[in-house]
Amino acid sequence: MDKAGSPSRLPGRSSGLAVLAALVCAAPILAVAWIALTRDSGDYLQHLAQTRLPVYLTTSALVALVAGGGAGLIGTTLGWLIARTDFPGRKTLSWVLILPLAVPAYVAAYAWLDLSQAGGPLDAVTDGLFPTIRGGVGAGLMFALVLYPYVYLLARDTFASQSADAYNAARTLGAGPLTAFWRTSLPMARPAVAAGLALVAMESLADYGTVSHLGAPTLSIGLIRAWSGAGSLVDAARLSLVLVFIALVVFGLERAQRSRARSVNASGRHKPAPRLALNGGPALAAMAACLTPLLLGMIIPLGRLVWLAAHTETATGLAAASLHSLTLAGITALIAAALGLATAYSLRSRTTIATLAARAAGLGYAVPGAVAAVGVIAILSGTQALIDPAWRALTGEVFPILLTGTGAALVFAYLSRFAAAAISPSETALARITPSLDGAARTLGATRRRRVWHIHWPLIAAGVTSAGLLVFVEVLKELPATMILRPFNYDTLAIIAHNFASDERLGEAAMPSLLIPLVALLPMIFVARYLSRQDR
Amino acid sequence: MNSVKLLAAAAGLALAACSQPATDTASGETEAAAEARVVNVYSARHYSSDATIYAAFTEATGIEVNLVSANGDQLIERVRADGERSPADVIITVDAARLHRAEQAGLFAAADYSDLASGIGANLVDPEGYWVSFAKRSRVIAYSNDRVQPGEITTYEDLADPRWLGRICVRESGNAYNQSLLASMVAHLGEDGAQAWAQGIVDNMAREPQGGDRTQINGIAAGECDVAILNHYYYAMMVNSDDPAAQAAAAAVTLLFPSQETSGAHVNVSGAGIAVNAPHPAEARALIEFFFSDTAQRAFAEMTNEIPVRSDVSWDNPTLAAMLPFVEDDLNVSELGDHNETAQRIFDRVGWQ
Repeated sequence: MDKAGSPSRLPGRSSGLAVLAALVCAAPILAVAWIALTRDSGDYLQHLAQTRLPVYLTTSALVALVAGGGAGLIGTTLGWLIARTDFPGRKTLSWVLILPLAVPAYVAAYAWLDLSQAGGPLDAVTDGLFPTIRGGVGAGLMFALVLYPYVYLLARDTFASQSADAYNAARTLGAGPLTAFWRTSLPMARPAVAAGLALVAMESLADYGTVSHLGAPTLSIGLIRAWSGAGSLVDAARLSLVLVFIALVVFGLERAQRSRARSVNASGRHKPAPRLALNGGPALAAMAACLTPLLLGMIIPLGRLVWLAAHTETATGLAAASLHSLTLAGITALIAAALGLATAYSLRSRTTIATLAARAAGLGYAVPGAVAAVGVIAILSGTQALIDPAWRALTGEVFPILLTGTGAALVFAYLSRFAAAAISPSETALARITPSLDGAARTLGATRRRRVWHIHWPLIAAGVTSAGLLVFVEVLKELPATMILRPFNYDTLAIIAHNFASDERLGEAAMPSLLIPLVALLPMIFVARYLSRQDR
Repeated sequence: MNSVKLLAAAAGLALAACSQPATDTASGETEAAAEARVVNVYSARHYSSDATIYAAFTEATGIEVNLVSANGDQLIERVRADGERSPADVIITVDAARLHRAEQAGLFAAADYSDLASGIGANLVDPEGYWVSFAKRSRVIAYSNDRVQPGEITTYEDLADPRWLGRICVRESGNAYNQSLLASMVAHLGEDGAQAWAQGIVDNMAREPQGGDRTQINGIAAGECDVAILNHYYYAMMVNSDDPAAQAAAAAVTLLFPSQETSGAHVNVSGAGIAVNAPHPAEARALIEFFFSDTAQRAFAEMTNEIPVRSDVSWDNPTLAAMLPFVEDDLNVSELGDHNETAQRIFDRVGWQ
């Protein structure tokens, strides 16, 4: 960590703001921690430790491993194929491969269990040979299939911008394409892959809907059960601290990957590598590799829903719900992208406080949305209570309910949950801007503003836009926090889909479920075009 | 904290353009009379057919309905945290244990529901008078037409018998309906008896719990298990479905209302109470009264296959009609709340996933 005189270091003012913003994202989690540590509770946790806790922990590990392993394999392979090879359909697939991200994991789970359960179509066709998609492995697979785009997006961008030098050197020294990939390209992409995997792992640990439906008792099931079954919010808050701890470990591992990789990028030379043109068999294999996850993660589950939708009446209120979903997702994505970029910049200052704040902001990703919502409620109602005495003196009434129960509370919760998704890509993008680049620009007399707009922005635009897109899609799918915090009469697509699906009325859940990826499609196409324009 | 407020305020401003028109709050009470009358509903019911009932209510009374629906525990936490400034008028849940919990948290205003409750069964009304039930659901047993003889099973207790080893399908224990069923066993058999029963069920499970109640019927139809535990309306939903596969699965099973000679079939409820800080208590009362109207009671029977609490209302749903009448457990449903945590711990101890 060379701290002194780093030319990219930004003045304290701007990093101070970013630190504040990051702490805002962390605030709900801190509030939950405060509830966990200051309020009294009974002996429920003791009871849990003696009964179900070991199962919760092992199932969580299994789910995270299967999800991470699957998403890592799919995302890295596809990222490399799209970035470094050429085959028919590659350009379209480049953005189509992101789309499974718009399928909520619980929707995929509902469809796959429906297809594969005893008596379901797959079970009948294969005469009982097709395994029922359930349990820790089943849930992990669902996450891998709909979350691999995290890894794919980051890996693709990294592979695309990698210098060909190391790969070419390896080839010159006699390594085959695969070995060269394994020994040079992959290690260089490791920070990006690790960042994606961290998101996949955290999201699968924080999930409730999927694991609950597929019968995979993870820690978040135990947490919600402590809340709903034992009625103890304090115990739920304490269990969520365990999740936060796991998040610290996961993000710590990701950091370790990143810092080791720093030296690899140090040369700062970017000689774009020529794409490997695939023809015949290899081209078909590449297409099959791309289509398989699309088929399993999106086309088959959504196809099942279309089939079911054709057999049921369409639910009402879908147009309004689409608008609500778009509004919430759009606003949050813009704020989150700005916040993620600001935090990433403040991280470049490499001050301890900036690092801590950014890590804390990322922790929200580790806790279930319902817990983040509890933190938001605690903060906002606490704030309102603080205003009360003054307000009462002025008007004789309690302060009106302006904070909780409005869109503001929701956006607050979303930011807390998904800030990590916005910080990581921006950080990865900024990491590509080497200090020597800034140095050169400064030597040539570029002002700081000029450096940021004319040198940094073109290089990081793709990463920042991806960050916004990730948050956008996350918000479209988000369920528990939306349910608890939304204003009156404010249904979103995810809520309508879930309400029907939780009653196992998959036919009626089908249309709103289908609309989520469709609604995501427009901004995605826009972003995909924007990104390919940036492609050098 | 300043930054928190700043961000919240900024986001609030940004959202103002697209969020709902503000509902009148306590400070707007004076103007409330002149404005349209509203009632703010926090509901754990998420059935789309409820929209029909609210529309009929607005039609009949001129009172507009504002609705937030979410999981019962989440609604309770939101109302609790908002405290005095909570806009909630009516709180509705679909599980008696949640009604009980809201009452324990002091969220309900004491009210006299005796006029509504006359003739609906004393077990469906809170003894303290904080809430009242307006629709019923029973947790029952389905068995395979092919592999189980009628009369082979008659009570909940039978399910724990070793003869059903590897033959039972049931969903996970986090489900509120399973918790309330076990809570009723605690009330009838005591904690030890209920635990022995739950252990018996776990031993007899054909597979790890998965899916919802309909999944269990599908399990029987596919031959994975022979008996299942489910709420009666899921079966009715499948019988009344347009999907031939669902119809076929339902046709493969017989629905049994258990323990008819003993404790009666377990009954849970949809119920409501008026929020203690309700800004519109009169409108709240009007809505709860409307749930007991012929219109609403008929809608419950015809649209969600729930059992109306009033038996003197006529409705058209042959599937549901064929299930009635049956002997109900006369345990006061508020006791399901008393024993909820005990039930939860039993589930954990016997390893019911």
